[in-house]
Amino acid sequence: MLKTVLDRLALSVPVLLGVLLFGFLLLQLVPGDPAQVMAGPTATPDVVEAIRRDMGLDRPLLVQFWAYLERVAHGDFGRSMISNKAVTEELGAAIGPTVELMLGSLLWSVPVGIAMGTLAAVTRGTWIDRGIMAISVAGVSLPIFFVSLLLIQYLGVVLRWFPFIGRPGPWYTAEGFMALFLPALSLGLILIGPVARMTRSSVLEVLSLDHVRTARAKGLSEMRVTLAHGLRNALIPVVTLIGLQAGYLLGGAVVTETIFSWPGVGRLAVGAILSSDFTVAQGAVLLFALGFITINLIVDILYSLLDPRVRK
Amino acid sequence: MKTPSQMSFKRTMLRTGLRTGLAATAIAVAMPAVAKDLTIIREIDSNHYDPPRTAALAGSEVLFMLADTVVGLAEDMKTIEPLLASSWEVSDDGLTYTFTIRDDVTFCDGKAMTAEDVAYSLNRWQDPETKSPVRWRMGDVKSITAPDATTLVYALNAPHSELLYQLAQSFGSVIDKETVEALGADFGVTGFNGTGPFCWESWTPRDQMVMTRHEDYHWGPANYENTGPAQVEKITWQVVPEAATRTVALMTGQGQVSPYVPFIGLEKLRMAPNVEVVRSDEAFWTNYIGFKIDKPMVNDPLVRQAINLAVNQEAMAEDLFFGEVEPAYSYISSGALDWNSDLDDKLLTYDPEKAAALLDEAGWTLNADGKREKGGELLQPVAYTFTGSWAQVVEAVQADLLKVGIDLQIQPFDATVYWGKAATQEFDMFTMGFPYISAGDALNLYFLSANMPSPNRMNWNDPETDKLLYEGATAVDPAVRAEDYGQVLTKVHEAAVWLPIYHKPMQIAYTTEIKPFEAHNIYGAGLYKGLQLGYVD
Repeated sequence: MLKTVLDRLALSVPVLLGVLLFGFLLLQLVPGDPAQVMAGPTATPDVVEAIRRDMGLDRPLLVQFWAYLERVAHGDFGRSMISNKAVTEELGAAIGPTVELMLGSLLWSVPVGIAMGTLAAVTRGTWIDRGIMAISVAGVSLPIFFVSLLLIQYLGVVLRWFPFIGRPGPWYTAEGFMALFLPALSLGLILIGPVARMTRSSVLEVLSLDHVRTARAKGLSEMRVTLAHGLRNALIPVVTLIGLQAGYLLGGAVVTETIFSWPGVGRLAVGAILSSDFTVAQGAVLLFALGFITINLIVDILYSLLDPRVRK
Repeated sequence: MKTPSQMSFKRTMLRTGLRTGLAATAIAVAMPAVAKDLTIIREIDSNHYDPPRTAALAGSEVLFMLADTVVGLAEDMKTIEPLLASSWEVSDDGLTYTFTIRDDVTFCDGKAMTAEDVAYSLNRWQDPETKSPVRWRMGDVKSITAPDATTLVYALNAPHSELLYQLAQSFGSVIDKETVEALGADFGVTGFNGTGPFCWESWTPRDQMVMTRHEDYHWGPANYENTGPAQVEKITWQVVPEAATRTVALMTGQGQVSPYVPFIGLEKLRMAPNVEVVRSDEAFWTNYIGFKIDKPMVNDPLVRQAINLAVNQEAMAEDLFFGEVEPAYSYISSGALDWNSDLDDKLLTYDPEKAAALLDEAGWTLNADGKREKGGELLQPVAYTFTGSWAQVVEAVQADLLKVGIDLQIQPFDATVYWGKAATQEFDMFTMGFPYISAGDALNLYFLSANMPSPNRMNWNDPETDKLLYEGATAVDPAVRAEDYGQVLTKVHEAAVWLPIYHKPMQIAYTTEIKPFEAHNIYGAGLYKGLQLGYVD
């Protein structure tokens, strides 16, 4: 097991280096001038040039990249080109809300998705099955911004049940919990469809196996057969899927956080890119990459634990 | 066929699902509301809050509340009000301003504010090390000194007729030297110490700026009924980037005030029973399309005049902006200080037939495709524009111009790219919007030859204009200043160097739990000091 983990960790290093290089070059090559953004539209060229020199943007690209690598190696992501705040400070403040949002969406959508998939499997071919599959297809198909706006309109504006701007506090406070509800609901909807569909097909496959037939022959209740012998064995591919989809939630978080003014990494990245704040954008890209790599690593480890064949 | 145990299992699952749904519904609770706290919803944040180093409107909005300036400006945008200076005298030659600074003002940390703090703040603004993008607003400064605790002497090498108006801007906010030196580059990022009606509490960039009431504050400008302390204990400036979310956030009371309501949402808000919209037409914010007048496509004044005549600003104001803006034909609002009213009946308004005649006169004739050409070359000016609503405006202009045979080419850019692009010489036309306090403010920025290629993106290079602008800027007599600026206005309007599109009024939406108030207009910061903001008793 340790060797598996070490192998995966070793593989992550070139991926991270690639992300660093790619992120740096991409942001540098995108047209846009942070010095001009900082100076504003009425600034004269000499002021813009002075600000550019201050920011180190007049140096060759390679020199800028090497300096960036050196800093990152020392855990220094620099300072925001726009606000002058330390990037680590900005990322540190944003990571909590993003993790909270992701966990909030996973916590409700995974059980609901698994329950829906299981129910669809045991009611295969009925209107319940078709209804659940229709909902899951809708969940996969509807763009997240559209779902978010619908939720705001009906649960926020018409019914006035939940607030929908900002994060007044952490989830364990009353205000924070209420503010988390709609973004987490919106983001979780991405996950329900794939989880329900995967669970349904996996449960159906397992329920047709010999050991399930044996369990029924022993006189076990249908619920016990389904949950203990069917669902338990059907969860292996579902766990993999959840892990991979959790990575995609990071992408969904960018949209959700923007619509709900949620102060997470996604919104930070969007704001940084829109204001040509290269250092913060690079930090956010790196953080996203780390998030993906970590989630994949956890999935690999979990998969190895659940299925001994993988370890071999 | 299903077994009884299978049927029972299904029922159990269904019941569980139903209970979960009901439980979720029961979670709903009333929105929290603390009457002494107020949330202002905004679209964007500032880059930082260091007064002389930010030209962002989002910066000024907050700085006006966190700090004070030497003088204030009333809502009419013309009347200078005492603020940190209780009075002032101007020497006959207009070179020396002597201000009497109040002796009862304190910073947020309780320390007394003196004329030395004012001198420090203004000297920091003009210091080249500060790299202020708005240093030019201070005029040709000789020295700024504080001979004693209540006297400030602002000496100029040449008169600056609009000095008091410029000193009312947030760039000249008085700040505490010790805090600036202690925080260094983090001043206005992690902390601030000013004398404004509110004090810095915390700032999370791109999310929230929180400020608390300055309890000792009582020196607000006289244009306010309440000169302090502020009526609310805490103000949170909440960034909400999504336009639709901003609109409905007000309707549901999640924010109480917003100067950032999209045009499309204003009517909806007016119809909402719990929201009011206050409007001021003296906001002095004009959006225009400029011509690079030395480019072959648009170097003929006749062509530029024809373009002005071919575009229907009124239709645009109705169709694109839902009637919420004023169609513009003048380069600055006619209510602005030193506007030349002789131009009122000479402005170029929609007349496509006359536009076609002017193009014929200029030698651009219609070809078989209905497009204008001269010497085998099509009349195809290139316009650089922002994406978003500006792109829609330029598309409407394109449609109007096509009717008279001009084939406008549009290149939209994201705002992060646009500013850099607009500083080049690659285009024939460009889009821009700007706030101003007077004719001189606008003209000295855009039409001085020294400001080419940016912000004088038109390449307007006219020695007589430079001379008139200098004379206007240094005039001691306001009538002389108005005459000089009036002449420049005539010159640039006759040359049709811009195609004005619309004057944007100040519109602020607020919930009915807030007392009605008058919108301010300074630099587009409609809430100014925030002293008027309070809940209905």
